[in-house]
Amino acid sequence: MLTAGAFEERRTNEGRLTGLRVLFAACFSILVVAFWVIQVLQHDKYANQAENNHLRTIPLRAPRGVVFDRNGQVLVENRLSFTIAIVRDQARDLNGTIERLAAATGRDPAEMAAIVKNRQNEPKFRPVPVIEHATLAQVAAVAARQIELPGVLIQQVPTRQYSAGVAAHAFGYVGEVQPVQLETTEFQALEPGAIVGQAGLERVYNRHLMGVDGNRFVIINSVGREIEELQKQLPVDGQRLQVTIDADVQRALEDGFKAAGFAGAAAVLDPNTGEMLAMTSLPAYDPNAFASGLPGQAWTRLLTDPLKPMTNRLIQGTYSPGSVFKIVMAVAGLEEGVITPDTKFFCSGHGVFYGRAFKCHKAGGHGWVDLRHALEKSCNVYFYNIGDRMKIDTIHSYSARLGLTGKTGIDLPSEVDSLVPSTEWKQRTQKQPWYPGETISVAIGQGAVSVTPIALATMIATVANGGTLITPHLGKAFDAADGKGWQPIPTPEPKSRLSMTPEMLQAVRDGLWMVVNEAGTGGRARIPGRDVAGKTGTSQVVGLQNKSLATARGMDTRDNGWFVFFAPRDNPQIAGVVFAEHGEHGSSAAPIAKHVMETFFAKKDGLPLPVIQMPGVAAPPAAAPAPTASPVASGNGRTPPPARASVVTARPGG
Amino acid sequence: MIVDRRLLPHLDWPLILGLLALTLVGLSTIYSVTIDPVTKVAGQEFWTQLYAIPIAFAALAACLLVDYRTLVQRSWLIYLALIALLVAVMFFGVVRGGARRWLQFPGLSLQPSEFARITVALVLTMFFADWRRSAKNIPELAIGAAIVAVPFLLIAQQPDLGTATLLAPVYLGVTFMAGLRLRWVWTALIVLVLLSPVIYRYGLQDYQRDRIATFVDPSKDPRGEGYQQLQAKITVGSGGLYGKGFLQGTQGQNGFLPVAHNDFVFSVLAEEHGFMGVLGVMALYLFVITRSLDAAKLARDRSGALLVVAIVSGFGFQVLYNITMSAGLAPVKGLPLPLMSYGGSSLVATLAGFGLILNVRMRRFGN
Repeated sequence: MLTAGAFEERRTNEGRLTGLRVLFAACFSILVVAFWVIQVLQHDKYANQAENNHLRTIPLRAPRGVVFDRNGQVLVENRLSFTIAIVRDQARDLNGTIERLAAATGRDPAEMAAIVKNRQNEPKFRPVPVIEHATLAQVAAVAARQIELPGVLIQQVPTRQYSAGVAAHAFGYVGEVQPVQLETTEFQALEPGAIVGQAGLERVYNRHLMGVDGNRFVIINSVGREIEELQKQLPVDGQRLQVTIDADVQRALEDGFKAAGFAGAAAVLDPNTGEMLAMTSLPAYDPNAFASGLPGQAWTRLLTDPLKPMTNRLIQGTYSPGSVFKIVMAVAGLEEGVITPDTKFFCSGHGVFYGRAFKCHKAGGHGWVDLRHALEKSCNVYFYNIGDRMKIDTIHSYSARLGLTGKTGIDLPSEVDSLVPSTEWKQRTQKQPWYPGETISVAIGQGAVSVTPIALATMIATVANGGTLITPHLGKAFDAADGKGWQPIPTPEPKSRLSMTPEMLQAVRDGLWMVVNEAGTGGRARIPGRDVAGKTGTSQVVGLQNKSLATARGMDTRDNGWFVFFAPRDNPQIAGVVFAEHGEHGSSAAPIAKHVMETFFAKKDGLPLPVIQMPGVAAPPAAAPAPTASPVASGNGRTPPPARASVVTARPGG
Repeated sequence: MIVDRRLLPHLDWPLILGLLALTLVGLSTIYSVTIDPVTKVAGQEFWTQLYAIPIAFAALAACLLVDYRTLVQRSWLIYLALIALLVAVMFFGVVRGGARRWLQFPGLSLQPSEFARITVALVLTMFFADWRRSAKNIPELAIGAAIVAVPFLLIAQQPDLGTATLLAPVYLGVTFMAGLRLRWVWTALIVLVLLSPVIYRYGLQDYQRDRIATFVDPSKDPRGEGYQQLQAKITVGSGGLYGKGFLQGTQGQNGFLPVAHNDFVFSVLAEEHGFMGVLGVMALYLFVITRSLDAAKLARDRSGALLVVAIVSGFGFQVLYNITMSAGLAPVKGLPLPLMSYGGSSLVATLAGFGLILNVRMRRFGN
């Protein structure tokens, strides 16, 4: 049995082994036939494809989100620009192609070769952009020589387009993501070469504004012509952003500065919400220049310009606030019970504190003044007296509640801290105790007080709204085009509330109203019927003893001027700050504020917007009779206010 | 343990020469794909492969030293070692290309899953031949399947479904030789065909369905696997009858065909040496397979025959699949072509398997 079984098994095995052989032989035979068909019968077809068919990936850059103003007017949009790129696997003779392309476009071949070399580790079918933002002439030159330039590609790329001369520092600019930035959490997961916001709103809201790039996968032939599109991934547009800025108010602000000819900064906001209606910082850069690729030289020039156009003075410059600080002293004095609105002090032209005479700007003195008149006339002695009755830390604490310490939290990058001194600060930074005499200087905004313009805007908005510390902000809503419509960006919660008693609030508002509407220094901001309230300030750029030295070195030592304002007095709807760098006096900043407020109210009432007369834009002599508009046209037929710049000349104070 | 000198004349030298010829053809193709067109310097892969070939033949020789029957008897130890290595990969493995498959040692990286086939071949031989279990009843077949399932699941989760799937022909080969009823094979095939729409609908993951859809219509995914499939076909087809010539290929060298030195090495061969080259290499593979099956016929016992068929089935299936894929005729799966593709672990494991086949033939006389 065993032998028979073994024999039986052996026979089965042999049968099955033969079966396996036949199976393998059959499979190989089928494969041979298949290869015969592909390699011999269809050879021509595939040989042709191998010769000509190359896959190319053409990136489709996603347009960044369009930015609208609060009324839906477009502020930042996109235009198409041309990029010339080389596809290495298509350029038969890469060096020759680079040379011919450089010659055709007037570029340096060595520079172009270096760009290509930098990208040599990328797949060869990926286009290497060698000329970005090509001129039409360059595009035409390349298009005409397409046959001699196989592998050279012209691509259309959406590029940022900003309204010229409008709030450059608010929008910021875009540029290629830097290698070091790719390692930060802000820009991780992006590919090298991605265009990101580098400053301003473009940077803060980059994640929303940036879209998702798409691709086209195409087959091209040996001369680079597209034969077939295999697949297309459409780019996803960036989210649309609405900002709180009002384009008309913004333009009025820029025009105001242009007419006055100052450098400086300004913020105009809704005091009740913190929504920024306009902002500027001058001199500024042209964000369009960044969008179309800034040459290295121009970049260096921007960075080394002594006027610092890259600095956003509104949030990055800190200055002595001068007399504007008296508002803080008035609020603090009233709230602490040091004074009442009716408390009077006698000003003889100076006050003696700690054995030292502190001067008022009016040599003969103001005589007996109460709080309202002290604000109106900006009497130093009155505020010395308040300061003398308060501790520096109390002043610091009220400054904090009015937004004058630290950062305001505006949605712009790189804001710097504002400083109002305290005993702790002095101990920490100078290892010295606070001397009470220093408090007297602080009381009129001198000494170590150093604040950003945006902090003063926050302060005046807080006083205007009765004590609610708002956060100035620019972002209003996003639209992701996902069918949900505009999604509002939540308004930041108030950071603190000073509940000022109506009576005391009214005294401060009255004093500030008198600055503009009675004998004060802000008369140039007066608008009949609008009850403008405000306060000027003047601050030295360098101390008097160093002034001649600094002048000799060629520094601009003219004083800085401030004007903070809100209107109408009893129901403020607009507030803000104008900082006139080297404007010499706060009253010179007032006309800018006036033009802004007039525009704001005219727009609100549906009236024609006022026009400001630019200096040097006079009608040519041969033309029709000069327009009848007054130098500072009010637009509503109101008489321009009298200039008051010469009324007060003494400093400090004013 | 010195091999009895009397055994040497029984070594199957023609089979060894066939194996050597295929590894050298593979090496020259790797050279052609990886050579730098400007500096004329061969790529790193060429040198790695050159150094792997002697090691692999040493592994082949090592597999001759011990009588295959001893190896079969002790195969459960090898099996446990394999499982241990695969578990070690799970915890200490190196991740490359999204899969955890390699163990990194100084100067050497090892892919244990490559050794699963030969281990499973040994264990199944032990089960069906040594223990004389029958492949004619379901419970025994199920136990055999369970033996395969453990390494299968460990490899599949790496994830490397391709390598795991190669265990299936090993199992089928052994059970076929062990007397699997052909009726069942036909029945299973028919059921599978009938159920395929249901499996497609409910048994597959989305990405697997995509893969099949891409195979049917490569233009659906012209960037991913569809692209590779199209390019593979262009590569092979452009070779023509006589090929573009050694070092004259363009598809792999210019980067249109990905992993040309590995999964698509046969496509490059077809491009450079044409249909004639394809015929030659396929003939070599068929020779190696039939010559190996001779060893099964000559084997002195049932375990020898089963072991040979197990190894040949796994090898033959992988060769056929890779060649079909390299012409763009099968879905793209990361399976190298045994003996020719770049990859030290694969080469060592393949030649170790042939060592066992030679072992069976060499010891066909004797007690």
